[in-house]
Amino acid sequence: MAEYAKLLVGRCIDPKPGWQVMLLSTPLARPVLDEIARELARREVYCLLRLDFGLERYPGVAYAWASEASPELLGRLAPIDQHAVESIDARITIEAPENTRDGSELDGERHAQIRKATRAYYKRSMSMEIPWVSCQFPTEALAQDAGLTLAELEDFMYGAILRDWDAEAEAMQRIVDRFDQAEEVRIVGEGTDLRLSISGRNGTVDTGTVNMPGGEVFYAPVEDATEGVISYSEFPAVLDGNEVAGVRLRFEAGRIVEASAETNEEFLLSTLDTDEGARRLGELGIGCNEGIKRFMKNVLFDEKMAGTVHLAVGQSYEFQGGKNTSVVHWDMVKDLRNGGRLECDGEVVQEHGRWLF
Amino acid sequence: MPDPRVAQYAKVLVEDCLDVQPGWEVLVQAQPAARPLVEEVVRAIAHRGAFAVVRVTFELITTSPMWLKEAPEELLSQMPKLEAALIENLDALVQIQAPVNTREGSDVPPDRLNLVRQARRPYFEGFFTGEIPWVGGQFPTPALAQDAGLTLGQFEDFLYRAVLIDWEEARASMRKIADRFDAANEVRVVAEETDIRFSLQGRQAEIDAAGANMPGGEIFYSPVEDSAEGVVTFSEYPACYLGHQVPGVRLRFEAGRVVEASAQADEEFLLATLDTDEGARRLGEFGIGCNPAIQEHMRNTLFDEKIEGTVHFAVGNGFPFIGGKNVSAVHWDMVKDLRRGGRIELDGEVVQENGAWLFG
Repeated sequence: MAEYAKLLVGRCIDPKPGWQVMLLSTPLARPVLDEIARELARREVYCLLRLDFGLERYPGVAYAWASEASPELLGRLAPIDQHAVESIDARITIEAPENTRDGSELDGERHAQIRKATRAYYKRSMSMEIPWVSCQFPTEALAQDAGLTLAELEDFMYGAILRDWDAEAEAMQRIVDRFDQAEEVRIVGEGTDLRLSISGRNGTVDTGTVNMPGGEVFYAPVEDATEGVISYSEFPAVLDGNEVAGVRLRFEAGRIVEASAETNEEFLLSTLDTDEGARRLGELGIGCNEGIKRFMKNVLFDEKMAGTVHLAVGQSYEFQGGKNTSVVHWDMVKDLRNGGRLECDGEVVQEHGRWLF
Repeated sequence: MPDPRVAQYAKVLVEDCLDVQPGWEVLVQAQPAARPLVEEVVRAIAHRGAFAVVRVTFELITTSPMWLKEAPEELLSQMPKLEAALIENLDALVQIQAPVNTREGSDVPPDRLNLVRQARRPYFEGFFTGEIPWVGGQFPTPALAQDAGLTLGQFEDFLYRAVLIDWEEARASMRKIADRFDAANEVRVVAEETDIRFSLQGRQAEIDAAGANMPGGEIFYSPVEDSAEGVVTFSEYPACYLGHQVPGVRLRFEAGRVVEASAQADEEFLLATLDTDEGARRLGEFGIGCNPAIQEHMRNTLFDEKIEGTVHFAVGNGFPFIGGKNVSAVHWDMVKDLRRGGRIELDGEVVQENGAWLFG
């Protein structure tokens, strides 16, 4: 626990004396929150503790309030919270849900309004204006979704998190160097043949700074270039407690022109219709964490799984040159370990999830 | 099936106590175990068209006792700017205690806690002056039940009986008592090892009936600061404050100031608290318990100070909105039972004996 806390505060945030660091979580994360509070105190910074009962995706918005509040209220943060979000020096978000379905009782319209309101929480971090990190604390609910006991989940999580991040960074640098030279990326797999342009875009290596665990290389793809089809046949796409199986997306000139799913298609379609940017890609990510071998229905971990890629519809990262804006950022993970491949400008660079260079 | 009393309680807090208006930003401070009540409270706030700014923390004042124990003193003596901005801008405050362990925070050294309280005090002025509506209440937890010597079910019944009374009727009967005290100059409280006099001259009563505390059920004054003379011994119940329970507190006053203080145990905490600042040795409040639904001491000040037939004295901060001038980071209510041989005199006339009023 102390090691985890040190990693989050020291490696991810590295706060200076006098900073106001916002710490967002649920009461269940208390063991690690106590260690983080201790670590922050020792570094002479303030700890602004923000606990709520739901998902940290919507910090500060209580579901019981959101289920009753009028749309005008719902669509913006309380001015007091808005001010806080615009003024904090760093943010640590630790998901520790009691029930991962909390919030799924709200309809899509309300979700969209809350996303709009809480966008402020992510705006400064997405643009890397402030140091931040998002991570998780193992709870029974997360274990249950992963099909594991709590003890198994703990082993899994700490195995993925407590790694030699300097060595990981070096290995991932080789991958990003190869992709940075490429103009076009092609993803081929079951039900999938998709071409994306990353021309003029630089990749980012997630070495365990803004996410913990880290372990991905990611790009903001050129917004109007994506062509083809991708089928997420191996794993469901998960967002806000909603699980959608068998998502299939067809792109033309960067825009999703056809979308379907085997279950919960309505949620998929209403999310894609949230705003204009929700039908374009905001991220291409390549999973590189060898400590993660199996799908957990837990995006933070799943998107880092070595041998997978993920595409996010919606908001992109400005600091990478991304221009797509949306209140949505939905990562969907595609497994390439069984017959899939990645090509850079026509050259196969990964096959069956294994790098060829 | 949710307990319907939780939603009724939330309505009392949001509608009767705070009367939340559209567009307000209402700060809801609570401990995690209060979740069912917090959810009903934020729902009631949404119904009134207001923002609920929820701040759930492990402990209400210190938010994170671990941070408080480790942080450098310079940080403790200055509220983080964002917390200060929060307090300065909110329109109403509801605080809900729901401890999982009532000793939480008791391992924080008092001097560190004092730094935090001193830093917070100026920002909370608006609540003491009555400018900003606020209410503090509790949600029943096993820890509170345990301190009260009850099961959770028994404690829930006790708590909801005390908070869900007819507050209009309670206000009317307390008004009659307050009128009698408002007309008096000197109050004398006599009981076992207790004979204390103090002045209420020029001071008005505040009646708490669904106001800043839930449950309400008390009449209180800020006594004239230099007037208290004599001895009060809290022999019936321990004096509870910040996770400490100090038995047998005895205070001797001269010209309004505590000049002698002792206790049967934890005397060190008593003395350190009285030495917090100059105001901590003077009375900030004299209160009279009037809630008919509260008869037993629960080691829980919020309820104990409302026991019908008791009075309480608070050392420390007074209430400016009722003329109080004493300033302190401390406000420690100590409850004295008068139901067995005690009496209250107003200007020499006995008005209460054995906890029963002698006027109609």
